[in-house]
Amino acid sequence: MEMKFSGQFEVSPPPAQAFDLLSDPQKFAPLLPTFSSLEMKDANTAVVKVSVGIGKIRGTATTQMTLKEKVAPKHATYVGTGKVMGGAYTMISSYDLEPKGTGTLVKWQGEVQLVGKILSLAGGGMRGYAEQQIQSVVTSLQQAMSPEYQKEATARKAAQAEKKSSGWMSGLMKKLRKHEEAAAAVEAAPEEAIDASALLAGYTGPAMDAVDATAAVSQPLNSFARNGDFSAAVASHKGDKWVHASLSRKEDGRLVRGRGLFVDDYKVAGMLHMSLVRSPYGHARIVRIDTSKAEALPGVVCTLTGKEVAAVANPYMQIGPGDAQNIKDYPMAVDKAIYQGEPVVAVVAENPRIAADAAQLVEVEYEPLPAVTDWKTALEDKSILHPGLGTNHHWHGVYEYGDLDKAFAEAATVIKIGQMDFHRFASTPLETNAVVATWTPFGGVDFLCNNSFPAIVIQMIAPSLNLSIDQIHCKTMDVGGSFGNKIGNYPYMALSALASRKAGGRPVKWVETRTEHMQAGGHGSERVYLDTEVALDKDGVITAVRAKHIDDCGAYPRYEPLGCVIWSQVLPACYKLRNIRIDFNQVVTNKGPSSPNRGYSRLQQLWFMERVIDICAHELGISADEMRLRNYIREFPYTTPNGCVYDSGNYPLLLEKAKELIGWDDWKKKQAAARAEGRWIGIGIGTTLDSGTNNFGQARIVNPYLPFSGNSEVATIKLDLDGTVVVSLGSTPSGQGHETTTAQVVADELGIRPDMVEVRTGFDTAFNSHGGHSGSYASQFAVTGLSAAHGACQKLKKEMKKLAAFALEANEDDLEFGIGQQGPELRVKGTDRSINYWGLSAMVNINTASQPPELADITLNIRHVYRPPFKIPDTDKKFGNLTLTYASQLHIAVIEIDTKTYVPQILAYAAVDDCGNVINPKIVAGQVHGATAHGIGAAMMEAYIYDKEANLLTSTFTDYTPITVMNMPDLAYGDIETPSPFSYNGAKGMGEGGGAPLHTICAAIQDALFDKGVVVRNTFNPPSDIYRLLKNPNWAECVKVERRAA
Amino acid sequence: MPDAINKVTIDMTVNGRKFRRQVEPRMLLVEFIREELGLTGTHIGCDTSYCGACTVQLNGAPVKSCTMFAVQADGCEVLTVEGLEKDGQLHPLQKSFSEHHGLQCGFCTPGMLMATHALLEENPHPDRYAIKKAIAGNVCRCTGYQNIIKAVEAVAASSKEA
Repeated sequence: MEMKFSGQFEVSPPPAQAFDLLSDPQKFAPLLPTFSSLEMKDANTAVVKVSVGIGKIRGTATTQMTLKEKVAPKHATYVGTGKVMGGAYTMISSYDLEPKGTGTLVKWQGEVQLVGKILSLAGGGMRGYAEQQIQSVVTSLQQAMSPEYQKEATARKAAQAEKKSSGWMSGLMKKLRKHEEAAAAVEAAPEEAIDASALLAGYTGPAMDAVDATAAVSQPLNSFARNGDFSAAVASHKGDKWVHASLSRKEDGRLVRGRGLFVDDYKVAGMLHMSLVRSPYGHARIVRIDTSKAEALPGVVCTLTGKEVAAVANPYMQIGPGDAQNIKDYPMAVDKAIYQGEPVVAVVAENPRIAADAAQLVEVEYEPLPAVTDWKTALEDKSILHPGLGTNHHWHGVYEYGDLDKAFAEAATVIKIGQMDFHRFASTPLETNAVVATWTPFGGVDFLCNNSFPAIVIQMIAPSLNLSIDQIHCKTMDVGGSFGNKIGNYPYMALSALASRKAGGRPVKWVETRTEHMQAGGHGSERVYLDTEVALDKDGVITAVRAKHIDDCGAYPRYEPLGCVIWSQVLPACYKLRNIRIDFNQVVTNKGPSSPNRGYSRLQQLWFMERVIDICAHELGISADEMRLRNYIREFPYTTPNGCVYDSGNYPLLLEKAKELIGWDDWKKKQAAARAEGRWIGIGIGTTLDSGTNNFGQARIVNPYLPFSGNSEVATIKLDLDGTVVVSLGSTPSGQGHETTTAQVVADELGIRPDMVEVRTGFDTAFNSHGGHSGSYASQFAVTGLSAAHGACQKLKKEMKKLAAFALEANEDDLEFGIGQQGPELRVKGTDRSINYWGLSAMVNINTASQPPELADITLNIRHVYRPPFKIPDTDKKFGNLTLTYASQLHIAVIEIDTKTYVPQILAYAAVDDCGNVINPKIVAGQVHGATAHGIGAAMMEAYIYDKEANLLTSTFTDYTPITVMNMPDLAYGDIETPSPFSYNGAKGMGEGGGAPLHTICAAIQDALFDKGVVVRNTFNPPSDIYRLLKNPNWAECVKVERRAA
Repeated sequence: MPDAINKVTIDMTVNGRKFRRQVEPRMLLVEFIREELGLTGTHIGCDTSYCGACTVQLNGAPVKSCTMFAVQADGCEVLTVEGLEKDGQLHPLQKSFSEHHGLQCGFCTPGMLMATHALLEENPHPDRYAIKKAIAGNVCRCTGYQNIIKAVEAVAASSKEA
């Protein structure tokens, strides 16, 4: 299509002046409509970017404009060529200048040639559009040559000297363009008048001259204080003791500003992005992979297949015994995929969108294999997941304590309970798994990751990649929640590292999508309980329990089978029975691999015991509260049948407090009245334990050949060159406020303020403040992390005293710590003789002459390892102390089930917590709230549901429906403190919450349906399941009672 | 490069600053904010507009920036969490979230702040239910929402007093 236009106009300046503007591409090009930027190729050629909008089509055109003919001051011709939205164009415009009076007559000709798809897209409007464009150039030219513009140009130059951000286009020109664009848009598509006004909106407002700002954030440089917000929080606290203060957190300053540094926020030059092709099948052989089309896509750097990975990497260490050691677990599927979402091919590209595009171009041919989706099919071993293991039965062991035969023979009542199920769910942290990996020129790997147990992970990754552990630099910054799930993301760390190696050492970022997370980011194990038998005495006191439990850990064991022993930390739950036999099993199935999940493995056991208590109570006609009071453990420390020592607690007091909080007696009355009206209202109690600080020796109960035992955590503390107290930790907080609570503890130890203590953010192998157990998991920081920090303080204080005693010529016993006029100091009690921290540091670091030899060993740079006093358990008897502290919780819920829709609604909810001495009450309450939300969500809304072909049906948040504020009741929160005798500070680790709401809600639903002949025997109770339950009353079938003559 | 995607020039006012950028038509608003402008306070949590970690204000209204193309916001005014602080002074909501421990890991916090900021602009004295409704589309996995509600209630109450 070719179009020609011509015309003429007059301007007041003489030809020489008009020509000056016309013949300079730098001045002429910006007159083009919707000009956005310009780059000069040479004196006569400009590369100009303009945005174009014709009807509904919008795009950017890059035009190369060349001044082809230049005859001063009479003639100029421009030739422009460019591409726009599926088309190309050539535009020739020429100008002839003639004197007219004192001014100039400009005669112009324009010619536009267009080829390509744009013609059909733009339809018949093209000619009008082209004419409009040329017209607007002419109008702009006319305006630009006018004296008014020239005057403005002079003013602008002057203004520019003052105001840097001012663009070079004049306000007049902008106004002109704005007007024209609006007109063009309206004319081209009259029905889109609203769009035109939206277009206009972009150009209004006073900041017009700041268009195309380059910096998104910049503020005037105001004066600032070290730890500004935190200092304000500290200043508002009354008193000079910091442990037990409800201090606002130091972390908040960056997080409320949106300035936290999560992995995906991190950018580095040359960084590439990895996207994964994942198996759509739950179980399938990989027949063929073709990556050629993906590799041909511009912007793709490389691809990586499982075979390539297996050729250079070793499979990960397996924890399980015997043939479990032959499981081959690589970061990607090699010969076959064994769960939906297993990585099959990695694609590495310049940006995440190209990587995702390229992943679509990878061709994989699969041969589907029979899927194993439940424990029953798994145990049939018809379809085997791991040839090396040779069976799907991954682990088996019997935990037996006391004399079961005797207890059952002597029982007044024996109650047998049919199959019960603990469903598959996870805490699904809002930040998904992510890592930036760089294979460095020094031969090792740098990781910025969000793994929550990096100390164990580097022990897995290093042998897999043939590296020494020191060659792995592993670092975390802000972590957007973990809840145990992120312990399991190490395969992706290794994969990103190999991708970086293949990409020549460029950093590779991988950020999991939500669906990837749901399919493959770590599930909490499901558990089935079979053949449960309970022996009770005549008073309803449980004397014995026996059952068979089977865990389903998904496709790869990874952290498993540790879950096959960790539950036994709470073997009898809160109850005093001494005779217990659990036949424990674990199977692998074609589902997403398990990872620890808040309350890991213990909440399954606790739920089981709470169900047992409630079902027995119901059968015996004993009320739920009375049943618990008859069975609670009451004396502490209490040694359980399997040798665990419950440090302290007061379960009856928890119950009393929770009853008071919820208004127990009132609700009992309301319940009776509601029942009389035919409403279904239930009140449920859940008592639970949050065992913290693992004895890793328990790993030997699942595999006697494992080298682990005990536990350790590390803190370093130093007086820096300027005397600042600097602490680094081995933990990986993801919201628990370790920077704050550590500062509280150190402040008390040194008699200073928390804002005078620098606690470094995150975990970093370069800090040298980690041991083999470091990380944040298993409710332990208040014990392990703070004990390490406390121990480090004691050593530092000893050194500081030695130095101060020498400097002040005083006795060490006469010195005290505190804050003086020159900041933190040591002083001689009752005098004004003191030395501040800078002075002490100087004696070691910068002013070191003339000191006696007895100070030579002092470094003021302490590394302390806290090791709790554990012994190696007896692996044959499965006996020993597996955990140091036992926080406890008691929840009560009132639930009404709608009699028409079967929707359960929580009417009231109380949660009482006991974690011993509390370091920061605000943080503890927050942890209880969060754990409660997870439990309520799991009990009522959240489930990983697979179909028979091992397709995950709840693979987005929209399907999985994590609990929102609309589903959360207002919580009544209370606490009691029974100090732990086993930690220096009387604190107990907490945060996991023991799954109390699962127990509580199931109990409440059971109570609501008390007369319907149903037994709640699944942790997951959505309305549809409650409906099914009521349609098929199962009590008689599931619960059998034998009453013995007295 | 075959079938290169033509970029579109868009203009957007973000936190009071004008930006003109050329973007692929398929670029999401949240990607534009995070990658083009480097404002990483706005987070991506779910990809299906369930979680609200990406909530920003678009011409005043709270929107989920993962469910919009950047080109759709052409000519619009966007406010992100980075725009809440003025002259070195935190917004009362930011202070209140910290004071009431309305955040733990902080990943949902920017979205929560923007959703409740939009609420308070429209209704300075919301009741508890209105606050819940305002954050019904924002998931927090840490706090159980209790202290977020408290934090917003405190700001609403203090502006009432003033």
